[in-house]
Amino acid sequence: MMNTDLEVEQLLRWRLARAEAGAPRAPSGSRLLELARPWWESWPGRFAELAGQVGRVQADYGYAMAAPDRAGGGHPVPALVVTESEELTTCARILYFNIRDGRLRLRFRLDETPARARESFGATFVTGEGGRPLLSAQAALSLENEYRTDTEIPEELAREWEPLRVTDRMPFRLILRDEEL
Amino acid sequence: MNFVWFWSFWHWSKESFRDGSLLRNPLHGVGGHWDEWFRHEASENDRAAIAKTGRDEASQRRFISWLLVHWARETDLRENRLARRFVLAQIALAQPFKEWAAFEQYRTNRGLGGISAVVLGEGSPGKPEDVRQVEALALPMDTTAPAVVSEGFQADSFELETPRAAAARLLSGSGLLIFFVLWLAGGKRPYPRWLQLVLGLGWLAVGGLILYLLMGPDPADRLPLLTGALAALWIGLVMTAIATATTLGMSAWRQGRRLSARLEQSQVRLRMSGGLTLKGGSAALPFCLNMLVSIYRAEGRLARRSWLWRRLFEGIGARAGTWAATGAITPGGFLKPVVLESKLRACLKHDGIQRILTPRQPGVTSRSLARLAGTLAPSSSEAAAAPSNSSGVRFGFAAEEDCLSVHPCRHIAQAQMRLGGFNSPAQMAMNVFALAVSVTLLVALPDLRGILLPPAAPAASAPSSPSPEYLWVNLETKHPENFLVAMESHYWLNRRVEVVPRSAAGGSGRAEIRLQRSEAPENNDQEDGVVWIERRHWFLGREFAPGERVGRYSLSYLSRLGHE
Repeated sequence: MMNTDLEVEQLLRWRLARAEAGAPRAPSGSRLLELARPWWESWPGRFAELAGQVGRVQADYGYAMAAPDRAGGGHPVPALVVTESEELTTCARILYFNIRDGRLRLRFRLDETPARARESFGATFVTGEGGRPLLSAQAALSLENEYRTDTEIPEELAREWEPLRVTDRMPFRLILRDEEL
Repeated sequence: MNFVWFWSFWHWSKESFRDGSLLRNPLHGVGGHWDEWFRHEASENDRAAIAKTGRDEASQRRFISWLLVHWARETDLRENRLARRFVLAQIALAQPFKEWAAFEQYRTNRGLGGISAVVLGEGSPGKPEDVRQVEALALPMDTTAPAVVSEGFQADSFELETPRAAAARLLSGSGLLIFFVLWLAGGKRPYPRWLQLVLGLGWLAVGGLILYLLMGPDPADRLPLLTGALAALWIGLVMTAIATATTLGMSAWRQGRRLSARLEQSQVRLRMSGGLTLKGGSAALPFCLNMLVSIYRAEGRLARRSWLWRRLFEGIGARAGTWAATGAITPGGFLKPVVLESKLRACLKHDGIQRILTPRQPGVTSRSLARLAGTLAPSSSEAAAAPSNSSGVRFGFAAEEDCLSVHPCRHIAQAQMRLGGFNSPAQMAMNVFALAVSVTLLVALPDLRGILLPPAAPAASAPSSPSPEYLWVNLETKHPENFLVAMESHYWLNRRVEVVPRSAAGGSGRAEIRLQRSEAPENNDQEDGVVWIERRHWFLGREFAPGERVGRYSLSYLSRLGHE
C-alpha cells in the first residue's frame, strides 16, 4: 500500500537521493581539463600524420580543357575523411561560406563519400602549409550529402576570413574524423 | 501577400548568391539554401507563420499550389514545369517540409517516370532490385556544376558526358539522320487510316498497271490513257511520300536543333536509387534516352510541333514504366556489347518490366534466352510447394504483351523506333513494294516518255540507197527507236522495218527496206508505193502495235532523194 501521507516534495527528495547514490562519480578536475583539450593536443602524433596526409593532397586544377570552362565552381578544398574502416582522400566543395557575429557558417559537399554515410564528422580546419590546426567543429549531414557547420570562430580568424567569397581559394584544409573514433 | 516567409527565404538566397556567400544559384541549391535559412536566418515571425502553414494538410497543399502557380510566375519558372517540381522535391527533404504529409509524393520521386537501367549490385546474379528506375530532369545550366549531375549514385563524369553527347547528336546530328532514315524505311506515317488505305491501294494499282502493260492484251488506242494514268498515279504517290517526308523531316530537324540548343544550355540531373558507384558504362543507354525525354519535357510546347518527336516522347512517357535498357554507347550513338545474362535474369524476375533494349551482340538469340528463362522456371516440386509465389517466367523474344521482349539494337535510333512505336511491318512492306515499283517505272521512263510525250515527226532525208535492191529511209530524229517505217505497194512486197540508229551520224536513223517483187503484182510500176512513218511504242521491252502514222512519202521520192 502506498503511504499517501508523504508530500510530493519529500518524495522528490527521496528519488533524488537514490539517483545520486547510483550515479557515477564526478570526473576530477584534471580529467575535465583533458576532455576539454582539442584532439590534436591529446594525440599530437596522430594529428601530425593526418595533417601531413591532407597537406599532400593536390587539389589544384590542371587546365587541359576540351570544352568551354564552366567557371564559378569554386576551388576544391582538400579533405581527409577518417573513419574506423578507411581513410579517404577527397575534396570538399564549399557551398556556403559566411562569417557573421563571430560565427562561421559553412556548408560543403564531399566529392567522394565513405562507403557508409556518416550523420556527422568532427571537422578540423588545418592550414595548407605546415598543417597547423585552426579550429574544430562538428559537421552534420544536411541534405544530399551536404554537411553543415555552425561554430564560433576566433576573432583573429574571423577578421582574416570575413572578406572571403565562396568562390575564393580557401585558406584551410579539412580533416573529417568519425566522431565515434 | 501569402507565404511571405517563402519570399523572405528566396530573397535571402538570391542576395547571398549575389554577394558570394552561396556557391549555387537559388534554383539549383534550393534545398540546401532552405535548410540554411530555416536553421539560422528565419525570424520568429517566419517560424510561426511556417508552423501555421504546416498545421494541417489542407494548408500545406495550399502552399504547394501557391508555389507551383503564383511563386513560379513571379520567378520566371512558369514555363518550366519540371523546375517547379524540382524545387518542391528539394525542399521536401528539409525541415520542416520533411514532416509535412502533403510533400510525401515529392519526397519519394519526382513523378517523371523514366526508362529503367539494369545495374547489378555487387555480386548479384540478377535480382529484381537490380532494375532501377532512372529519372532525368533538365534545369537551366548551373555554371558551378557539371552539365550532368548524378543523384543517388556516383559515376565518372565520362560515363555521364558520353550519353549527353550522344543525346545531342540524336537531336540534331548524325543520330537524327539515322533515325530519320530508319523511319523512312519502315516507320509509321501520320496518315489517317483512310488515307493509309488509299495510298496502299494506289501503290497496288500502280503495280497492277505495270503488270497489265507487261503481260495484258495490247491496249491499242487506250495505251496513252493507261500510261498517262500510270504516270499520274505514280507521280501523285511519290509526291505525297516526298511531301510527307520533307515536312516531317524538316520539322523534326528544326525542333531537334531547338532541343539540342536547350540541352546545351541545360543541366541534366540524373537520379537513380541505390547509392551505387557505377563501374562500367552499361547504364549509358537508359541515361541517354532519359536525357532526351527530360529535354522534351522541359521544352514541351515547342517540341510538340514535330510529329516525329511528339510521337517518340509521348510513346516513351506512356510506356516508360515497362521498359528497361542496357548498353554502353559511343558519342555517335552506337551501342557496344555488355554483360547481358544477369541483366536479363533481373528483368525476367521483375514484375513491371515487359521490354528491354539491349545492344545487338552474340548471345542475344531466342535459343539462349529460352535457356536462361528455363533456368529461372520453378521446378515442379517448388511450384507445388509455393504455387502462389511462383510468378513463372515471363519470357518472349519480341513477343506478346505479358512476356519480356528483348529488342536488340545497333544504334540508339533503333531504340527510338522501338520506344516511339514507329516500327510498322505493313509500312515497310509497302515501302519495299513502292520502291520496286518506282525503280521499275524509272527504268521504263524513256518508254513512257515515248508514249506520252512522243518525239516530233521526223523528215526523210538523203541519201537514198545506191543499190536498186534496197530502199533507204533516212529519218532526222534523235529517237529512231520510236519509229517504224512501213512500205505499201502494189508491185513490191509490203514490209514494215524498224529504224536503226546511225552511229556515224548522231541524231538520225535509217530503215533499210529490201525491195522484193510481189509474187502477183497488181501492176508493173516499180515506183508504185507509199512509205509511212509510224510511231513505235515500247514498255520495258514489250512492243505494242504500231501507233499513229506521222509521215508519208512516195517510193519515187525516196528513191531519188539526193540524186537530183
